[in-house]
Amino acid sequence: MSDFKRPSITSGVSYRDPKAALTWLEQEFGFEPMMVVVNEDGTIGHSEMRFGDSMIFVGHEYDAKHKSPASLDGVNTQSLHLQVDSGLDALFERAKKAGAKVLREPADQFYGERSAMVADPEGHTWSFGQVIKAMSFDEMAKAGGHQEIRERL
Amino acid sequence: MLTTLTPVVFYRDPIAAMRFLEAAFGFETTALVTDKEGRVGHAMMKVGESEIGIGQEWASAELLGPASLKSPVSLGGAGSQFIRVQMSEGLDAHHERARAAGATITQAPADQFYGDRTYRALDPEGHVWNFAQTVATPTDAEMEKVSGLTFKTSL
Repeated sequence: MSDFKRPSITSGVSYRDPKAALTWLEQEFGFEPMMVVVNEDGTIGHSEMRFGDSMIFVGHEYDAKHKSPASLDGVNTQSLHLQVDSGLDALFERAKKAGAKVLREPADQFYGERSAMVADPEGHTWSFGQVIKAMSFDEMAKAGGHQEIRERL
Repeated sequence: MLTTLTPVVFYRDPIAAMRFLEAAFGFETTALVTDKEGRVGHAMMKVGESEIGIGQEWASAELLGPASLKSPVSLGGAGSQFIRVQMSEGLDAHHERARAAGATITQAPADQFYGDRTYRALDPEGHVWNFAQTVATPTDAEMEKVSGLTFKTSL
């Protein structure tokens, strides 16, 4: 990880079973393990995985504020969006074959992207996006029937 | 395959949340999609060199199918993720600004054994934010010695 520059933003994702999550994310989503911090009792204190220029922390349910969707009736308070420049359908098929729950099949969207959405084994929501046609905000707003798409509040 | 990962953070009142994130944390709005009723369809904010998405709690089944995305406010304060923001400088001033703007500070700035100075804050709807600035670069062996933990690069 010596040449890896930490991004400004890292999602810390809570799992009931972080060891299983580390294995699943590596084998099925192609995340690369970078660091695993092991407590004296053998449990995982903290871990880091890399995906392209991005990284995530894979952690356990530290306290009442940090819960897996598996402990929240499947609800997520954040989702994870993976933007790829190619291979969205293959990524989706791989995740589906690995047991991800399909929330939305791959489909072309009005804003010029192809997108899909799955839930991992503990229920974290992952969306995938790939640009198929570059569009301006005005073109997107017109195509989507939105009032307006702008750059500022 | 070039890839980027963007967390999307869900709020009951995303516009109020974005005003807070601008004022307290200095994030910058870069895209805001509203529908004909003025509700937020999608929004993006710039944080350093990265981006986050801001979303509204989804009640509409046709938009996301069975996905269920809610604010911690709706879950008794629980969250399925937290966000780490890595800063190059100014952590203590950032903390002061956040506190003055009404962020709930759950851990004041402090140097950690792994070489980062960090503080933790809750936004008004209870999402956990962890701000960090590297102040030292200890080796794995040094960190193991002071913490009693074991550091590995894979399972």
